[in-house]
Amino acid sequence: MSGVFEFKQCVTIIKATGKKAKNLSELRTALAVVSEGSIFHHTYQYLLKGHILEYTNDFSQWAGASLEESALAEQLSNIDPYDFGNIETLRKELLQVIDDYLKRFPETRDAMPGDEFFFNETITLVFQAGVRVRNLAEFLMAIKYIDASSLYYHFLDARRRFEGKSNDFSQWFDEELGKKDLAEKLRFIDPFMHNLEGIRTRIATAGEEAVRQDMESAGATT
Amino acid sequence: MIDAYKGVSPKGDLVLLRKFGKLFGKKTFLHINSTREGGGVAEILHRMIPILQGLGIDARWEVIKGDGDFFSITKEIHNALQGNEEFITQEMWAHHLEVNKSNAEKLDLEADAVLIHDPQPAPLINFAKKGTWIWRCHIDVSNPRHDVWNYLKEYCNRYHAAVFSVARFSQSMRVNEFIIPPSIDPLSEKNRELSQEEVSETAKKFNIPFDRSMLLQVSRFDRFKDPIGVIKAYRMVKKYNDCILVLAGSPATDDPEGEAVLADVREYAADDPDIFVLLLPAFSDKEINALQRMATIVLQKSIKEGFGLTVSEAMWKEKPVLGSAVGGIPSQIMHGVTGFLVHSPEGAAFRVRQLLNNPDMAKRMGELGKEHVKTNFLITRQVRDYLSIWYALEHKNRSVLEL
Repeated sequence: MSGVFEFKQCVTIIKATGKKAKNLSELRTALAVVSEGSIFHHTYQYLLKGHILEYTNDFSQWAGASLEESALAEQLSNIDPYDFGNIETLRKELLQVIDDYLKRFPETRDAMPGDEFFFNETITLVFQAGVRVRNLAEFLMAIKYIDASSLYYHFLDARRRFEGKSNDFSQWFDEELGKKDLAEKLRFIDPFMHNLEGIRTRIATAGEEAVRQDMESAGATT
Repeated sequence: MIDAYKGVSPKGDLVLLRKFGKLFGKKTFLHINSTREGGGVAEILHRMIPILQGLGIDARWEVIKGDGDFFSITKEIHNALQGNEEFITQEMWAHHLEVNKSNAEKLDLEADAVLIHDPQPAPLINFAKKGTWIWRCHIDVSNPRHDVWNYLKEYCNRYHAAVFSVARFSQSMRVNEFIIPPSIDPLSEKNRELSQEEVSETAKKFNIPFDRSMLLQVSRFDRFKDPIGVIKAYRMVKKYNDCILVLAGSPATDDPEGEAVLADVREYAADDPDIFVLLLPAFSDKEINALQRMATIVLQKSIKEGFGLTVSEAMWKEKPVLGSAVGGIPSQIMHGVTGFLVHSPEGAAFRVRQLLNNPDMAKRMGELGKEHVKTNFLITRQVRDYLSIWYALEHKNRSVLEL
């Protein structure tokens, strides 16, 4: 990064896989064979949605809202996709939770016609947003107006590149600006409990707090 | 052209559009449909072609021509794809193909990318010469008559890709299937800001009172739009709240049933002076814009719907919208946030009463609706998506593409 942070952003185009499920058994059957791209879309990319729904991925949202299986929805919501090194392990975990539930409650209901689960996947286009920053002050200016998809790319999608433990912003603060506390604060923002605008606000607040502390310590030494 | 959207459309969309303009340079992009006026497809093409040209892409729009039989057949195909019982004979399919063949002889089909809109011109794929061919389906085909869909699908499977408006319209096909919602143009005559004088002019023109709550449905007079159901809902509301109802629509040259439906609506409205049935000439965009801005609540109570862009149009004007949970309406209305999804005339009446009695809630829903449309349903996003698909198909359909 050589000191400069260059914002990228992304656009996703949805592709239908042609697979759908009207009840939990059909969901389980399709989930076992759909592409890794489809599982990726319905879990990681769920966070690209602009509004907060009740649960934290498409499978849990459908189980809760369309099948009214709240207990299953809660269990599926508790799966953090960033805990898994690859999609196949995540797929196994999703299947395991559904299988356990089906053992206890084999008679699940059908969704209303038209409200079936449609398995999709995406093509993602990544491009430079045309915004470069060199220090925290410039970052704080930029973070307020960059596109929400830029936040998704650097803060959420980036977690996959750091095994769920970090994000591009924290890495830059840590490695390029030496701001370890701020980097750590950002790593502890829960990605599943806020929409992208909520995450934007929290990053900006943490950054402003770091500036205030810098100014206070500068004042104390003069 | 694209500069006009600065400050209106999301910045990221404009950045990507400019990148595509440079990437595609002078490549040719041909759109073909079956009508130049009436309905959402023609409307969006009127606006999209200049935007593409403004990016430097050599975009063209052609319209296929057909006789009365052709449009009666394609209307029946359309109805069958939306689930109505229709019987399309071999002779009818042969005429469908024959008319397309004769259009193919007259039209210049050479382009780097060709986007064919809806079933009417779908057989043109048989006459493709070069380029990337994409079939764009604007219809709700979630529960089609299978014999009709299976016949049509033989044409669609020959394209490089198919595009549907929402995931649940997609069908099992042999080609790539993309999901792209349609959009509205915030700068068009139908959606631009209007002055108070301009709105008043329209009110005067149609003798619509300004001082009463107004319910509005804008749609062509088609049974699938359920105008009779809207009147039923209005009559239920009238027991509790004073309001007027405006049903406004333009005729479409590819819809022979429109006149019969209009006659039924007029008969059902009878002599109620508070129901205004307005048959507007094509391109009455400013009047529709004014009516939407005058409305207190906008309805789209369709029984079947392709997408129902009138929902996004009304939300762009900060109106709460009540729509049926069909077609693309649920993807536009966030239930309880930007409006309500309803399932019957009774449901529509109940939600109208809720909103008429809670103006603060109606205002808040209207504001959130505008934000939702800005992010998801503006024309710049749709152009971006079409160009993304074209780019993806030219790059072997990889799942991540760095531009």
